[in-house]
Amino acid sequence: MNSFSGRQIIVAVLCFCLAVPVAMPASAARLPQQSPPATPPAGPKEEFKFARVDLDLLEQVNLVDRRFEREALVYGDEATNAYLQRVGESLLPRDLNLEHVLWKFRVLRDPVPNAFALPNGSVYVNTGLVSLLDNESQLAAILAHEITHVVRRHSYLQNRSTRKRFLTINIISAIAAWNPAGGAVGIAIGIIAAVSPFILISTIYGYSRDLEKEADLKGVDLMMSAEYPPEEMVKALKLLSNDIEGEQLKLFYNDHPQLRDRINYVSTYLGTKAEKTTAASELKREKNAYLTRIETLARHDIQLEINAARFRTAVHLSQRLTDFEPDSSENVFWLAESYRNLGPRSPELNEKQLTNSAKKDAAKKHARRTPEEEEQDLTATEAGQQNWKTNQAKSEELYLRSLKLNNPTPVAHRGLGMLYERIGRGKEAIDEYQKYLELVPDAVDRARIQRHLETLKRS
Amino acid sequence: MKLKLLALFVVFAALTPGMLHAQYLHPKVSGKEISIRNVVVLPARVEIVRQSMKGPEGMAAESDLLSVRVTQLIIEALAAKHVTASTNASTNASSISSDADTQKKYLLSDIQSRYDLLLPKIAKKPKDVKKARFSLGDEVLNLNLDKSTDAIIFVRGHGQKLTKGKKAFSLLTFSLDLPYLLLTIGMVDAHTGEVLVYANPVAITDATSQNEKSLRNAIEKSLKKLPVAP
Repeated sequence: MNSFSGRQIIVAVLCFCLAVPVAMPASAARLPQQSPPATPPAGPKEEFKFARVDLDLLEQVNLVDRRFEREALVYGDEATNAYLQRVGESLLPRDLNLEHVLWKFRVLRDPVPNAFALPNGSVYVNTGLVSLLDNESQLAAILAHEITHVVRRHSYLQNRSTRKRFLTINIISAIAAWNPAGGAVGIAIGIIAAVSPFILISTIYGYSRDLEKEADLKGVDLMMSAEYPPEEMVKALKLLSNDIEGEQLKLFYNDHPQLRDRINYVSTYLGTKAEKTTAASELKREKNAYLTRIETLARHDIQLEINAARFRTAVHLSQRLTDFEPDSSENVFWLAESYRNLGPRSPELNEKQLTNSAKKDAAKKHARRTPEEEEQDLTATEAGQQNWKTNQAKSEELYLRSLKLNNPTPVAHRGLGMLYERIGRGKEAIDEYQKYLELVPDAVDRARIQRHLETLKRS
Repeated sequence: MKLKLLALFVVFAALTPGMLHAQYLHPKVSGKEISIRNVVVLPARVEIVRQSMKGPEGMAAESDLLSVRVTQLIIEALAAKHVTASTNASTNASSISSDADTQKKYLLSDIQSRYDLLLPKIAKKPKDVKKARFSLGDEVLNLNLDKSTDAIIFVRGHGQKLTKGKKAFSLLTFSLDLPYLLLTIGMVDAHTGEVLVYANPVAITDATSQNEKSLRNAIEKSLKKLPVAP
């Protein structure tokens, strides 16, 4: 039996480790051919062969569905979910029968404009996105995009691909760890090991973008098959690029204009299908019909926006609702509520505030301060004080208007009470709170309002 | 060289327990201005992943079970302090499942989300709990808990367990990749929403294993400073 010295073992391991990366780029280069995003192996009519790793993922996402329900994240309004289901099903290709897919289209109670699909066929659109869109065709564009992710089994492909790349990260780390001290090779490998996660992440990111592109383009096809005007996808993307909160940051590794790219290539793709586009545009849905359907959901979303300190979006959405139905007491109330919560902030960001560096600064401050601290800091400035005066006057006027309209909503009294309490008009605040409790004796926030009343009466 | 290493080890060993079981009390609690006798523990959200050679894999079912176990361990640790804890958010929790009372479900979910928004700020400067800096606001009253409830407890956590391959790999590369469970426990005044207690116990263990001694110890130590209820 041969005996090896420690040095020989290290050399042997090093040789093995150095041999691996030689093989890895070749295998990595083959990856796109194995699961190329542009021509994925699993088209709607091709059979996707489930491996164990895919079934594991499926099991996990089924549990995710259940957790969304359990934690009341799914918007429970049956009419809205039925509407979404109808629009979603109208986009599905005929005779489509996918293994392990049960189509469910639902709204998620989340103010951030986003949508996603789980590989089991659950498609979720956030309240923040449904409220932002202008019409049913744009909603169809979002759903068509997500349907393509499911039909083309993108989640499974991405999962497989990510796992392969994680393996390469580990191997590179191993080489770095076993590398004998010093030596140029060691330093190079060390740098690669430190940098490669980034490189690999950006590769994964790029791969995702290819899948996103496929979902956009196939989504356009699905829209046209269902006779929705496909140009609404471009408009939906443009709406998404509207940075109301100044939160769309460009970091050094994702400074490519993703949404602008998407708008460009979808527009180019639509150009090649001009005839179909013209024919389908006859079926463009009315904006009013859409807003009527989503009005309740949009009001619910405004509350979520306020809870999440997304006050500017709350103003934007409630203004849209008020423009749509100016005589609705509830809509006017939500606009008043949004302005009251806006406090010392301006309703819209100016050009300077929308620069990348200003957004980065704002994001840092946002991570550090609570909304109350942010408000205090802003109120200490002249501009903040001016904004507060304007917003306060506007919200008072709107609350009062809301109460003068037909079927006045009693919560406007509560809103006025909060406003008066804050600006030190205690007696009027007490009156408003009392009116609210008289009108809604079983209000869910009764205990809270009573506490405010007690505090005011004591002072 | 050996001495240097030894000194480093001693410093690390001296600092670690404090870091692992940090706890911060609101001045009202440390000054015994208010006492915490009855609490409601809201559904915990503890996520654990399996770290394999091919990256992290979700463990949704195990995470659910772990959330329940962690809640139970917290209730037991509080009982030792004579604090009565319940997981039943007053009338709400029962009606949530049976009556499908959507509004109440939303309220509970929104309060949880509100805490999740505040948590990164607390975690960034946990010492500021001592300065009474953090509050969820009196919206917590909308939960309509029993009037005797003094505080609401929020539990969050994340952790990992390692596969055999990953364990071998971390040994091979000296990467010190360990199984762990990092928890945060936030106690919020049930009337004002102020954050009264914040603790972050850490257990260097596979939290999904049957042996819960390490996890129990970590939770008990993290609540050590909480005054015993009268």
